[in-house]
Amino acid sequence: MTNPAQSPSRDRVAEAPVIEVTGAGIRFRRNRGGRRSFKDLLSGSSRRSRPDDFWPLRNVSFSVGRGEAIGVVGRNGQGKSTLLKLVAEVVLPDEGTVAVRGGVAPLIEITGAFVDDLTVRDNVFLTAGLHGMPKKEIAARFDEIIEFAEIGGFVDTPYKHLSSGMKARLAFSVISRLEEPILLVDEVLAVGDRGFREKCYARIDELLTGGRTLFFVSHSEKDLRRFCTRGLYLDKGKLVLDAPIDEVLARYARDTGT
Amino acid sequence: MTSAVLEAPASARSTGFKRYRETLWLLTARDLRVRYSTSALGYFWSILDPLVMAGIYWFVFTKVFERDVGEEPYIVFLLAALLPWMWFNGAVSDSTRAFLREAKLVRSTNIPRTIWVGRLVLSKGIEYLFSLPVLAVFAIIGGAPISGWIVLFPLAVLIQAILTVGIGLIVAPLVVFFRDLERAVKLMLRFLFYASPIVYSASDLPAGLHFWSAFNPLTGLFGLYRATFFAQELDWFLVGGSIVVSVALLLIGLLVFSRSERAVLKEI
Repeated sequence: MTNPAQSPSRDRVAEAPVIEVTGAGIRFRRNRGGRRSFKDLLSGSSRRSRPDDFWPLRNVSFSVGRGEAIGVVGRNGQGKSTLLKLVAEVVLPDEGTVAVRGGVAPLIEITGAFVDDLTVRDNVFLTAGLHGMPKKEIAARFDEIIEFAEIGGFVDTPYKHLSSGMKARLAFSVISRLEEPILLVDEVLAVGDRGFREKCYARIDELLTGGRTLFFVSHSEKDLRRFCTRGLYLDKGKLVLDAPIDEVLARYARDTGT
Repeated sequence: MTSAVLEAPASARSTGFKRYRETLWLLTARDLRVRYSTSALGYFWSILDPLVMAGIYWFVFTKVFERDVGEEPYIVFLLAALLPWMWFNGAVSDSTRAFLREAKLVRSTNIPRTIWVGRLVLSKGIEYLFSLPVLAVFAIIGGAPISGWIVLFPLAVLIQAILTVGIGLIVAPLVVFFRDLERAVKLMLRFLFYASPIVYSASDLPAGLHFWSAFNPLTGLFGLYRATFFAQELDWFLVGGSIVVSVALLLIGLLVFSRSERAVLKEI
């Protein structure tokens, strides 16, 4: 690729990066009530900056090699979730580029793809299918998914009749079985009881051992240390530090004064 | 994870066009399944709806008014254009909510965004095809002979698909920013219903309007559909206009869609 290794943690990864973010930025309009004009909307991404624009994320560049586990650190509203969405390609950058090679299993807004009126079974096939898993493979993994989610008796129940805990478990179960090389985890693991959370963590460990690339957003220092080797520290929409996770956490602790 | 990089299992996911097709089909099937699993009458709604409409127009225009437009049997003449109109109308009015209704889903997957419009056109198109037996039954009862122009039926479906996708690609992203457009589209559709040859024939228009009616892509299109039973309804000039306008709308749609895509994703 065009961009050789820059970060200290990348030198053990010789192959092409799986995630490559170059000068990425995303712009929102501060004044949402303001009238939009057709011209505004259709003028594309190249138009000049305006005074009421605000950039939740700007000039962010980094690349991630296969098998790396990255923790994203920063206070609320500093662009962590936006970065995750960029990597998941559910939002497109206004500046720069985001290149993701290989599929992404996004554990963000995980219950989004489920339809209330369809049964659990239909929903599993639909969601896994939307993320590109072939039907045969879904069928082969179906029992495993249901078992992990601990909802054995509810396979033919409409999704809307599940409790919110069940919904979250099912969603995690489906997404974490996608076999995609990149796993994105937002702070979804706050859902569910402790027992299930432990199970989720064990599953993430398993995926990491299997060579997946992890992109993890959390406020929990413990979780970050547990999974990640490298940290990205975001502050005011800028990438302030890209270093081993311990260094990043130390800097973050110093900055927030805790 | 300080150990050596292990090989992730090779993913069996398909790529490119195949994935697009599979995803489009998956969502379309979901649409149809949701629609049919939540209603007792299921499939019959897609027949009942045009049937009631046709019944009303048939009564009004053959029993109440003295009708001097269209062809005999009138019900066949009517349904031949009314059924595709229902497809057009359904897909265009649904496309006003293409992103808004599925916001959660759109936000959680990175599938090509044009699928959100395409699946609406496809699912309404499938319902249209399902409703064709109704037309066939009336054609048999009414004794309407089939002309050789039935070979052009696939062309008509193709033009309509291009046209509807094009309009959907324009409407769907713009509604996200201009909510008023949703109601404006409904109004336009009602206007278009009477501005298009559905209850009448394109040849019933005043001579001065013949040229201008070519700019309404539905005019030539419905003539093409009707040619299956009424060869004299086929007007190549109007069909040509229909093709040109449809393709132009698709190109404009693709442009509008690609230009507004990133803004839409931020807004929903």
